[in-house]
Amino acid sequence: MHNVLGERNVSATEVSLSCADSKFTQQELPACKPLLTPGIVIGAFSLIGIVFVPIGLASLSASQDIVELVDRYDAECVSANDKVGFIQDTKTDKACTRKITVPKPMKGPVHIYYQLENFYQNHRRYVKSRNDKQLRYKDSASMITNCEPEATGQDGAPIVPCGLIAWSLFNDTYSFSLNKKAVEVNKKNIAWDSDKNKKFGSDVYPHNFQNGGLIGGAKLNEKLPLSEQEDLIVWMRTAALPTFRKLYGRIEADIMANDEISVVIQNNYNTYSFGGTKALVLSTTSWIGGRNNFIGVAYVAIGGICLFLAMAFVVLYVLKPRTLGDPSYLSWNKENPDQPN
Amino acid sequence: MASERPLLVATTPGACNPDDAPSPHPPAASLLPPAQQEPPLRADPLAFSVEVPDPFRPSRRGDGPVDDPSASSQREREVGDNESRAVVVGEPSPEFAGNAIRTAKYSVLTFLPRNLFEQFRRLSYVYFLAITVLNQLPQVAVFGRGASVLPLAFVLFVTAVKDAYEDFRRHRSDRQENNRLASVLAPGTAGDFQPKRWKHIRVGDVVRVASNETLPADMVLLATSDPTGVAHVQTVNLDGETNLKTRYAKQETQVRFSQNGGVSGILHCERPNRNIYGFQANLDIDGKRVSLGPSNIVLRGCELKNTTWAIGVVVYAGKETKVMLNSSGAPSKRSRLETQLNRETVILSIMLIGMCTTASVLNGLWLLNHRGELEFTQFFREKDYTTGKNYNYYGVGMQIFITFLMAVIVYQVIIPISLYISMELVRLGQAYFMGADKDLYDESSRSKFQCRALNINEDLGQIRYVFSDKTGTLTENKMVFQCASIHGVDYSSGEDTGGYSVVVGDNLWTPKMAVKTDPQLVKVLRDSGKNEEAKLVLEFFLALAACNTIVPLVLETRDCNQKLIDYQGESPDEQALAYAAASYGIVLVERTSGYIVIDVLGDRQRFDILGLHEFDSDRKRMSVIVGCPDRTIKLYVKGADSSIFGITNKSSELDIVRATEAHLHKYSSLGLRTLVVGMRELSQSEFEEWQLAYENANTAVLGRGNLLRSVAANIECNIRILGATGIEDKLQDGVPEAIESLRQANIKVWILTGDKQETAISIGYSCKLLTNDMTQIVINNNSKESCQRSLVEALATTKKLTGLASEASRVTIALIVDGNSLVYILETELQEELFKLATECSVVLCCRVAPLQKAGIVALIKNRTDDMTLAIGDGANDVSMIQMADVGVGISGQEGRQAVMASDFSMGQFRFLVPLLLVHGHWNYQRMSYMILYNFYKNATFVLVLFWYVLYTAFTLTTAITEWSSLLYTVLYTSLPTIVVGILDKDLSKATLLAYPKLYGSGQRDEKYNVSLFVLNILEALWQSLVVFYLPYFAYRRSTIDMSSLGDLWALAPVVVVNMLLAMDIFRWNWIIHAFVWGTIAATTICLFVIDSIWILPGYGAIFHIMGTGLFWLLLLIIVVTAMVPHFVIKAFTEHFMPSDIQIAREMEKFKNVNQVNRSEIPMRGFS
Repeated sequence: MHNVLGERNVSATEVSLSCADSKFTQQELPACKPLLTPGIVIGAFSLIGIVFVPIGLASLSASQDIVELVDRYDAECVSANDKVGFIQDTKTDKACTRKITVPKPMKGPVHIYYQLENFYQNHRRYVKSRNDKQLRYKDSASMITNCEPEATGQDGAPIVPCGLIAWSLFNDTYSFSLNKKAVEVNKKNIAWDSDKNKKFGSDVYPHNFQNGGLIGGAKLNEKLPLSEQEDLIVWMRTAALPTFRKLYGRIEADIMANDEISVVIQNNYNTYSFGGTKALVLSTTSWIGGRNNFIGVAYVAIGGICLFLAMAFVVLYVLKPRTLGDPSYLSWNKENPDQPN
Repeated sequence: MASERPLLVATTPGACNPDDAPSPHPPAASLLPPAQQEPPLRADPLAFSVEVPDPFRPSRRGDGPVDDPSASSQREREVGDNESRAVVVGEPSPEFAGNAIRTAKYSVLTFLPRNLFEQFRRLSYVYFLAITVLNQLPQVAVFGRGASVLPLAFVLFVTAVKDAYEDFRRHRSDRQENNRLASVLAPGTAGDFQPKRWKHIRVGDVVRVASNETLPADMVLLATSDPTGVAHVQTVNLDGETNLKTRYAKQETQVRFSQNGGVSGILHCERPNRNIYGFQANLDIDGKRVSLGPSNIVLRGCELKNTTWAIGVVVYAGKETKVMLNSSGAPSKRSRLETQLNRETVILSIMLIGMCTTASVLNGLWLLNHRGELEFTQFFREKDYTTGKNYNYYGVGMQIFITFLMAVIVYQVIIPISLYISMELVRLGQAYFMGADKDLYDESSRSKFQCRALNINEDLGQIRYVFSDKTGTLTENKMVFQCASIHGVDYSSGEDTGGYSVVVGDNLWTPKMAVKTDPQLVKVLRDSGKNEEAKLVLEFFLALAACNTIVPLVLETRDCNQKLIDYQGESPDEQALAYAAASYGIVLVERTSGYIVIDVLGDRQRFDILGLHEFDSDRKRMSVIVGCPDRTIKLYVKGADSSIFGITNKSSELDIVRATEAHLHKYSSLGLRTLVVGMRELSQSEFEEWQLAYENANTAVLGRGNLLRSVAANIECNIRILGATGIEDKLQDGVPEAIESLRQANIKVWILTGDKQETAISIGYSCKLLTNDMTQIVINNNSKESCQRSLVEALATTKKLTGLASEASRVTIALIVDGNSLVYILETELQEELFKLATECSVVLCCRVAPLQKAGIVALIKNRTDDMTLAIGDGANDVSMIQMADVGVGISGQEGRQAVMASDFSMGQFRFLVPLLLVHGHWNYQRMSYMILYNFYKNATFVLVLFWYVLYTAFTLTTAITEWSSLLYTVLYTSLPTIVVGILDKDLSKATLLAYPKLYGSGQRDEKYNVSLFVLNILEALWQSLVVFYLPYFAYRRSTIDMSSLGDLWALAPVVVVNMLLAMDIFRWNWIIHAFVWGTIAATTICLFVIDSIWILPGYGAIFHIMGTGLFWLLLLIIVVTAMVPHFVIKAFTEHFMPSDIQIAREMEKFKNVNQVNRSEIPMRGFS
């Protein structure tokens, strides 16, 4: 320390320059110095174009091959004018039958989704309203922090699973028949394996659930552990966007063109009080996921733009060529052309 | 050189960390003007550097008294009771501060509160803290409590550990220092000295110090081993000067000690102050009042040399000693980039408030629109049915307010707090590389480049003005005798003769330095013996050997028959003259207080020193009265030409005077420092008359200085001119080349020197600052009116010259201003005129300037322009200028370390300024500018991604990105590469930057950091955030995508994008940069894996799930490409069609044009 006054008496060994001479300390490490030469610019844009356009076309075709049927039913399935009153009335029969004709053959498994619109599963009040410890451990039933106002029942006992998310579990049900024949819906393995194995306890059972003053959605089978309540697990993977789909189940059979699917919907879930919509979606899948042309279009567009830019730069470089590294372009040389430097 | 320098040890231990400097000591309560009391001991008796009266008193420095017109006239003012301290000799007084010193800032108890207080003095930490506190409110909490406290706690903790460690080292050195032993006279006894720890020494103690011991406190000398009371001290710890200084004990006390071994009396001295060259006191002893001056005090930290023992009474102890009062660090400076950065921070704050307001107002509107639905909406659930009350809902107005506060927390990172930490780390790294650069390492003095202030590295890249001291900065301050004019004959040729030695007994004594001798002169001296000419020549050399205050030290060498004579003295000119005389065979061998021994051509003769008139700035000469072996009494005098010619014997030898004058003119135009030597033989009566007056003056209590001066003036008359000397003040290596490079880089170099006009101009020529095709304007006046007149005239001239001159035939103008004129110009309305004039001129030379005038000139430019100023100097007289300039550079050279202590950067040679500014300054500026802009950009990108998502969450500030990723984004995901790039990336190589000094212009023109670049960066952030957010948004619309998975994409994509942008802008990829850029992306991925492997978090498993889908990878690819396209297009376009100079130079480097073209054009000597 304290060499404040006396660097002059620093001994020679201390500052021996043998180590100070290294390429690192002299900032002379071997380095690559990339430069945007015309070749690199044109090459980069062309390469992007050449790679992106085919990817885009492949994605587009994959997306086009997917057959997707969407049937919005929230309006048609309520006959009454007072839609909220209708849906809140527990007595009325809410069954509703929808018929869908399949335009193109659908290869099994056909995925069944329900789609909600304007349902903010990402609302701040909502998304926090859960307790992951309680979901996993039997002994943590009383862990109800963050769950208010669905933390405890009227008797004060903790609700398992607590919180708004579980409470608002979607409870419309669908039963399908294909060409008047009942079709079985496979509701197994609709949730992530990681959730079933690790996140939701196999020894945690619903308790005191949906007993409160206001019923938010589905009830749970108190005999089944949470790890097997796949609808709940799917529902609790809160959606990122206010219009979302959730997997309901699968129809394993292939469906032919012009087949008629009839669906009996138990229209229980209240989306009417906040102006949300509900729809039933049947869709095949491919590597690209669901039917969405956007990614393909985006790839083609960006690829196209890059090809265009490549050509534009070719033209620019031809029109205004410049020798790289020509000292005469240095500003002080341009000002005084007769001075060498 | 002393290896132990414990006194100032704790001033700035890390040397490079601004936080290390101890809090400044309270300004000393000096009531006397700090400068100009007695003839300053330090001012070299014959160098004309600081003699001009101060034009303004040092009122801006914290320690001095405010301008008091009477104070300056009170040179010999009595020390009044109300402003003095009374010290009873031999009686330790508990009333004053003890001798224990304490440089440590904290104790165990006070560490936590004081350290926290110190840390929170930074505004950014307060902002940080406010956000954290806000987050603790349950309604507003965005992040978990632990998560939000963690970053702040981490930063505080690291800094605290660093501070604690440094303080521990200070404690340790304090302890060592305080426990050293000194012999102290036991009170009440006579001559009974007992060992005592330093910390127990008190004011009033009588302390005995042996040779080579360090003085424990500031003491007034009472007695020394020398019967005449002389003691020699080395002040290297104090001001870095290695030569010996002579201090005296008063005869009154000296005698009493030798008689009865004790002394008692009361000493009145001024209050503690930081002026190390001034001291005033009276000692009442035996009913007599003895006055004491700076030559009677020895200061803590000095070492006693060449004196067996010395006894003194402690007058200032511990923290009141002059050395401690002087140990405060340089005033902290802020870099220009940092000041500009505040402007952008304000813009960002406005953006932040705008975003928060938008989010909260939209949130309010949403709540109003859905007013009636909130109760039954599943995802809102306004009511708690167990209580029937609203749950966590306080009405629309309150919700808007809460949302606003939450938005502030969520978007806080748009103001990059981590930037401040990154900047410090980058500067630390830059400082390391500057220190390690072998081009900044001075072999001869073994001094490394030192970065003493750590916060203005980047300012080095924007300098427009360099103010340079001359002596010791441009020149080596190693005076070498070059030529002499003796009795009108010029002896200018020199020849290496290998020196001259004298035989003393069996030994051979050789002067340490041999001077080239003129064979002609040697011949004259040796051969003849008795003719008149030879006699005069002998007298001339006797004058050189006798008329000085040099102390010859005899040093042992390895060969025991060989000894070296080392001339120690306060003035390098005197040393040079004494060595010169020695080389011609007139060797000063010994000096005691009463006589000197000179070996005159092999014949040892004793000369009694009967009287000595010290150099002072009014007389500008010094003289000695010598009793020669042949019983004659002679007065030898030497001094400035003007002062000696005024007192010559008018009747005699006009032709010789004329010839000497002609030679003087020739010498000074060669850049030599000139002195005139004269003598006069005194008759017995003259001598006795003088002796009486001299003794009276010496014992006078009042006005002693004036009396002595008039005694000297009376005897110094009728002088016969012996001759004149020319001493070369050698230019440092590479100075002309360095100045040429700086000028090519559009840096104006001004020289501010204390030398006289001719010397300054000749130095100007020799360092190529002045050239023959320049028009010189000289301002040298003695009244305000004439100054004004010449300024107006000069302005008109310059207008005419610059006005008509076209670009090609530009006339360059050099302005030469004299210090006398500056007295009338600085701090008056004429300043403005001078400024206008000076900025028109390409070269400005100021000669005969006082230290504070130097600062005044720097202030002239600094306060009137935005241009960055740099001051470089090496002496105590440069301190004020160094502190005034934006960047102060100290040369660790001959003149001590005061300048270095006050400087921001210190180095060994002037020429290092070129690599420092053109290379490191350029790099630092470029790197720091880029890093700041990049940090703004990267944080804005992230915050905007968060903001777009809020539009799809009913404006409730949910973040899809986990809170951990949000916090780690600035800390880990994106910070390390910018720091590494900020330290290591180089836009151009050293060779290119040195070969093309004009490339430095990019910093001067603020090319790398300005508002339009900032706006461009924010627009880039806007575009990239839109790409990052909306491509996944549209791709995943109406899908089963869950928040955690999409959040992971939204966390990873911006990290990849901003790192790719950095990658695109990196100039030089070495393996370290590769490792950090790609490593950071990998580390981010790993972090996401780890976060999503914690089952307690809702996002458990999400990253693995989404990475298993093809769409994720397709999206990541297209996001990165789309985000980069505009940047790439702009970069490719501007680099090719609107290339900057730097771009051209890079291409030249790449295509190997640089080395062939330019090596030949600019001499690279000294830089490579």
